Amino acid sequence: MVIDSQPRQALVRRFTGLARSTPGRLSLIVVVLVVASLASGWLTTWSVNRQERALEDLATRSEPLAHAAQEVYRALQDADATAASAFLSGGLEPSQLRERYEADIAQAQAALSVATASSPDLTATLAAQLPVYTGLIETARSNNRQGFPVGAAYLREASGLMRTQLLPAAQELYRAETDRVARAQDEANFPVVPVLVALAFVVGLVLIQRYLTRKTNRLLNVGLLVATGAAALSLLWVTTVSVLVMNDVADSRDASEKVDVLAQARIATLTARGEETLTLVARGAGQSYEKNFVEVSGRLEGLLERAKALESTEAVDQALREFRQWQQVHQRIREADDAGQYNDAVALIGNPHFDSLDQSLVRSIGEARQDFSDEVAVARSSLAGTAVGVLVLALISAAGSTMGLWQRLKEYR
Amino acid sequence: MRRLALAAVLLLGACSAGPAPSEVVPRSAAAPQPANASTVSAAPSSAAGAPSCDATASLRPGPLPQAGQMPAGSTMAKIAQRGRLIAGVDQNSFLMGFRNSFTGEIEGFDVDVARQIAKAVFGDEKKVQFKVVTSAERIPMLQSGAVDVVVRTMTITCDRLEDVDFSQVYYQAGQRVLVRRNSGITGVEGLADRRVCVASGSTSLGNVVNRAKTTVSVPNWTDCLVMLQQGQTDAISTDDTILAGLAAQDPYTEVVGARFTDESYGVGVPKGQEDLVRFVNGVLERMRTDGTWSGIYGRWLTPLGPAPAPPVARYRD
Repeated sequence: MVIDSQPRQALVRRFTGLARSTPGRLSLIVVVLVVASLASGWLTTWSVNRQERALEDLATRSEPLAHAAQEVYRALQDADATAASAFLSGGLEPSQLRERYEADIAQAQAALSVATASSPDLTATLAAQLPVYTGLIETARSNNRQGFPVGAAYLREASGLMRTQLLPAAQELYRAETDRVARAQDEANFPVVPVLVALAFVVGLVLIQRYLTRKTNRLLNVGLLVATGAAALSLLWVTTVSVLVMNDVADSRDASEKVDVLAQARIATLTARGEETLTLVARGAGQSYEKNFVEVSGRLEGLLERAKALESTEAVDQALREFRQWQQVHQRIREADDAGQYNDAVALIGNPHFDSLDQSLVRSIGEARQDFSDEVAVARSSLAGTAVGVLVLALISAAGSTMGLWQRLKEYR
Repeated sequence: MRRLALAAVLLLGACSAGPAPSEVVPRSAAAPQPANASTVSAAPSSAAGAPSCDATASLRPGPLPQAGQMPAGSTMAKIAQRGRLIAGVDQNSFLMGFRNSFTGEIEGFDVDVARQIAKAVFGDEKKVQFKVVTSAERIPMLQSGAVDVVVRTMTITCDRLEDVDFSQVYYQAGQRVLVRRNSGITGVEGLADRRVCVASGSTSLGNVVNRAKTTVSVPNWTDCLVMLQQGQTDAISTDDTILAGLAAQDPYTEVVGARFTDESYGVGVPKGQEDLVRFVNGVLERMRTDGTWSGIYGRWLTPLGPAPAPPVARYRD
């Protein structure tokens, strides 16, 4: 230990000696400035890269996955409601209902395979139970086709499986994916630490120039001026771009909120439709379905009002109008059914308002998703070139500092 | 020397084992069951203090009024004023009360009985609204006045007579057992170590719960057939009428054993509506004598055998 401490003491003495003499001090400053400019540049580049990655993730992964998860839920819900409607119609099921059911299952399967790539655990229940569900529906169909009431029992079992297992799993998947979008938006926030470090570096450069002016009686040092300019430019660039990005990300948050509200509205629409149909399938024993219809309709109205409050587009207004008309027709369906005019009630259920409402919602969701995509694209384009630019400016800053101080050092030789 | 080194390398290589090859394991999930299926451990709380009575003796009918001319102030007059009879029926019991999947209409033996009542009130058997009720909903629906009558394989019991009134017996059924053809079960005695399915709120439940190892209850009889077809239960035990309807939907099942209970079906009427009970009894009397009863039997229940004589009416006046 004693032997060891000797060279260390010597090193310390050398440094303090260096720091005591002016040329020594200048050499130290060169080292510090070069390290600081490179470190600050690296930190800023890293944070800009992080923002870029977060935005890319938003545009190409999180948002498409959230949409896929929403599609899984929507398609499953619609498949179940459609299967019930096909049963209700009596006789051979109408081909357009069968096609709709098949399209829903295909869509659910496709959306599910997209989602499985990112969250295999969350989709395991869905992947395992979807074939079981379709199997039950086909058993229901083949029994129904032979005129056996046990077909209706298989349909009820399938619907129970959908409500108790598949839909809750799809809901969980959707929540997980929308949370991922929110996390990616958080990642693209303002880079506080790198900006503060860059600011400190600029201030440091200014202080060093004042110190040099006092020591050497020279007003200007071109090298250091260039270094300060480059550092200040880099700071300005990163701050401006970050503010722009932050603004765009905030707008994209509004757009995702709109998408979320509208997606929930669409799911509520389909749920209400399913309950409305099942009330008639149950033929008088459907009080619980009607209760659910009223409850889901209330929720749906709230969601549509919220969507209108967020942004009153033409499609959202249209959706609200169709919703009100649908509710009126529903009243007439209930009145007809309660008055024993079952066939009139079944005829009324084929009204166009439900489909129009669904289409308006599809349009609104499409518009809101486009808004989101636009905001993220703008944010990404504002970041373009920033990482390289900041790195080049950091190198210029380092080179300027070295050259500027080298001139002064030479005067002491 | 070099060969030795090579051997050493090979040996070392053999020792540094990689991870075991991965396996694909499916997510295990319970097979789906009908909604609200549950295991029953004890009979519903009636057995102990069951009231004793002469259950199948009903009220003697007077002369049947002309259709469309119901006595003023009577229950039937109120039904006539409404313009339709509201009857609680089943849409899941093949042959007795079921939904014809081609027409969407509800049909069956019970349904035709209900239509005969409507015909007696209005002169038109179409003036009837069917409300589908499950076994367990029959008494609550009568008590709340949601239906005028219940014609749904409803056994007359002293227990139920506490809550509702019944017409005379319009069909004499008995409980038997439905099994898969190769099950080896030959009657109710064979259920001691088996799983049996029954509908909740039915008299069959109380008759079978102590004779089977496990009893599962579901809302509808067709749910029982689903469970039998899915291998979740070994047998279904209820009235032969319902079992015949289930067996007709699955050729791999058969009804076995002798009747081990007597189930006398009556038309359920809200408690205290004596005029309606007498009126329905009049309708049933007419159906028996003019051959309508045998006609309806022949239309639906021939899988149970040739038409027997209609049940004999018993009245307590």
